Amino acid sequence: MLCPGTCYSAEYFISPALIQWWNENARRWGPIVSGVLFGAGWWFWADAIALSPHRVPFDQYLPGIIATLALVMINLIRKDELADIDPFDDASYCRARVWLFLSYVVSFASLVAAVWVMIQHYSSNPDFTPAEKWPGAAGIFQVSFILGSALLFFISRTPGNSSSYDGYGAF
Amino acid sequence: MFSSGILLQLLGCVLWQNWWPMLTGIMYILVPMPYIFFGAVGGDSGYSLYGSNLESGWIDAGKFLAGFSAVGSIAIPAILAHAQVITTGALIMELAAALVLGATCIVYDYFNSKDD
Repeated sequence: MLCPGTCYSAEYFISPALIQWWNENARRWGPIVSGVLFGAGWWFWADAIALSPHRVPFDQYLPGIIATLALVMINLIRKDELADIDPFDDASYCRARVWLFLSYVVSFASLVAAVWVMIQHYSSNPDFTPAEKWPGAAGIFQVSFILGSALLFFISRTPGNSSSYDGYGAF
Repeated sequence: MFSSGILLQLLGCVLWQNWWPMLTGIMYILVPMPYIFFGAVGGDSGYSLYGSNLESGWIDAGKFLAGFSAVGSIAIPAILAHAQVITTGALIMELAAALVLGATCIVYDYFNSKDD
């Protein structure tokens, strides 16, 4: 195996039936479910904007926009670049890893921003009725749905790690 | 089945004398479009590794867009009901229409992949 150091096969942690179900269905339904989650995220936010009696300032749209940016970033990576490290290659493996790290940073930043917006503007604000606090909660739903969609799309896109190809999968 | 879905959708508008639910019709037009443009259902082009990366990338993007507009057909009636533009009964009828149309798609998909 070309796995460096200690490397655990997924069968040690997850039941093989689940892995087989995933292998059969992920490629067909994964992108569709991920699209559903992405749409659900943005529609939650649209609902909050449409129903809020106060004008929601633009900087509260930012967590959702940054989460969408994280979705694009995480899915720009080609999975076959992450498959194996080749010491004679042109560092495409390292580039892919660095980009993936950056996209994780951006996605966590958007999640933190959504929580921050909710706490600062909505839940600690004594003047709002509970119905008016919906944009805060909706922002968190939005960001978590979008990030979940990004992750699901990433892992269900091309043949994943649990395929049996030993690093010849790029052809 | 498809026509009964459309019928439910129209009834949701007519019975309550409120034509806002027709906005969902935009979503019903958008949903099949990624399938038409990217030609996607279950790639069977004979590649050994589930299609080349480039082509399967477009297919996945098409599925993503189809899922996105499918949830729009559920979300628009929900938002309209939340804003009390349409009544709860109309919401239930719209959701039933979305369910029937979704079931139509799944059944169509199943029968298509059985023929091959």
